[in-house]
Amino acid sequence: MTAKNNKLAKAGEYKPIDLLAVAAAREVVDGDIVFAGTGLPMLAIMLAQKVSAPNAVCIYEAGSIDGRPIDLPTSVGDARCAHQASMAAGLTEAFYGQLHCGYVDLAFLGGAEIDKYGNVNTTVVGDYLSPEKRFTGSGGNPDINALARRTVFIMVQEKRRFREHVDYITSPGWRLPKWPGGEFVHKREVYGKFFRGGVEAVITNMGVFRFDEEGIMYLDTVHPGFTPQQVKDNCSFDLNISRVSGETKPPTYYELELLYKEVDPEGIFLP
Amino acid sequence: MGKAERITLKEAGALIQDGDMLSFSGFTIWRRPMALVYELVRQGKKNLHLFEVNGGTHTEVLAGAGAVKIWESCWVGHELYGKLGEGVARGQCEKSMIVEDYSHGQVVARLLAGAYGLPFFPTALSMGTDILNPQYDMLKRAGLRDGSNPKIPRQKYTVSQDPFYDMGEILLMPAANPNWALVYASQVGDEGTMRVNAQTYTDAEVIKAADKVIVVAEEIVPDSYLRSEPEKNIATGYSIDYVVELPWSAHPTGSQGYYDVDADFIRNFYSASKSKAGYDKWAEEWIFGVDSHEQYLEKLGISNLEKLRANKVLGYSTRVKRGSR
Repeated sequence: MTAKNNKLAKAGEYKPIDLLAVAAAREVVDGDIVFAGTGLPMLAIMLAQKVSAPNAVCIYEAGSIDGRPIDLPTSVGDARCAHQASMAAGLTEAFYGQLHCGYVDLAFLGGAEIDKYGNVNTTVVGDYLSPEKRFTGSGGNPDINALARRTVFIMVQEKRRFREHVDYITSPGWRLPKWPGGEFVHKREVYGKFFRGGVEAVITNMGVFRFDEEGIMYLDTVHPGFTPQQVKDNCSFDLNISRVSGETKPPTYYELELLYKEVDPEGIFLP
Repeated sequence: MGKAERITLKEAGALIQDGDMLSFSGFTIWRRPMALVYELVRQGKKNLHLFEVNGGTHTEVLAGAGAVKIWESCWVGHELYGKLGEGVARGQCEKSMIVEDYSHGQVVARLLAGAYGLPFFPTALSMGTDILNPQYDMLKRAGLRDGSNPKIPRQKYTVSQDPFYDMGEILLMPAANPNWALVYASQVGDEGTMRVNAQTYTDAEVIKAADKVIVVAEEIVPDSYLRSEPEKNIATGYSIDYVVELPWSAHPTGSQGYYDVDADFIRNFYSASKSKAGYDKWAEEWIFGVDSHEQYLEKLGISNLEKLRANKVLGYSTRVKRGSR
């Protein structure tokens, strides 16, 4: 391989999906134990392991623990996930032996809709009792989001997907109902001594969002080519754009080379 | 043969009664007992109650055929090869199916309780979500939590205080004990010892939780071979009731060490499953149009199957084209 070219790529030299993967990879702290879902999360953790977090390890919810895939898995149950894993176990190990007992530092997740508190819907559109459309459902998303210390959502930015309230809370954000009564409270009050953290960032094709002390979403960085106002126009709630810290750093040429030549050379998630 | 009785695929299908509660081995599009699922459709089973950690192509084959009355789970789709579960979605939206949503960790909790002979299992997973919204307890809404069906608990969940270490509120999830576990395994011994040679998913839990277990195995091998490395086995012969030996019986789902997921086949099924008419046409060709699993394999063709065959060292195929490059 040629020398690492750590110069930043220019507009037009990378696709939106590349920036999503790179921005997500930058959320990984070296040494993190990372729980990742299918798709972009896989690209993010594998890229991070090659660039900045060589000691980060990856858990996939079907049961592979600290695998070292040499071919990109297409789903978390894929045989490829378990290549050179420290354990090829199952869901009891992943959800209880790893997540519930407290090993997981960071999780990458996805969703169809999100509200300003970071509650995510992957279940239905419309009234749950008479839904207009069914999505896949929760899977492990709410479990992982419940008990990982930090979670990062990777999503498509659209006005209809960034909402004041989601139709169904599949996955717990910062402010949510405490069942069976349903009082709307901070996540800390729902989880009590099980509380470990929550949604740290949301990364879309337009920007990177974080959450304030009250658990309300704000725009942190805006991707090159967009303005904060454009991002705000693509939210249906009144997005806080007063705390924007700058522009999202584009991918480096080295990161792009890794993504296309080593992480996804077959073009599975990066067409 | 030891304790597990060896039977044919047709005999296995005939054991399942309309209305039975079923659970499955595998994870989404991996290690599903597909040949047996096709056989259930061929035999016209109705009103099935599925309880599963997640759904996949097998769920959609049953849902599309109108065989499912209750689906208790948390996810359905075909991963990269079909993003939704169209049959379940139609069933839920048209209200022809009762869908009871959980999270992965909560379904696992119910299976663990069932597997270990406990009435419930505690968990702090997915608190504060609409999964726990009492308005959305669909089995209760259908009047099915009255205790008349021994497979349906009186409550979806309850919240309890930790009585021991003051950890506060925690969920108690009721045990699940399905009538049947329908399991695909890569290897079963001639006395029934079972091995999967891969990630275990929730196969061992499903086997223990179910009243009766049917295993469809890629191959039956001498038990002595499996007993020479007992640490690799996940179930004993006496926990399995029936065994069917049937190579390629997880197709189109994948089986590590044997064959990969048949992506094109699942993609085609997924597009067909978007309408009832599309599903019926697909089923006419691939389920009713073949009389046996052997005919199904002949229809798929050797060259197709050879492409899927796993590399013996890596455990997955290196010859399938998976992406755009």
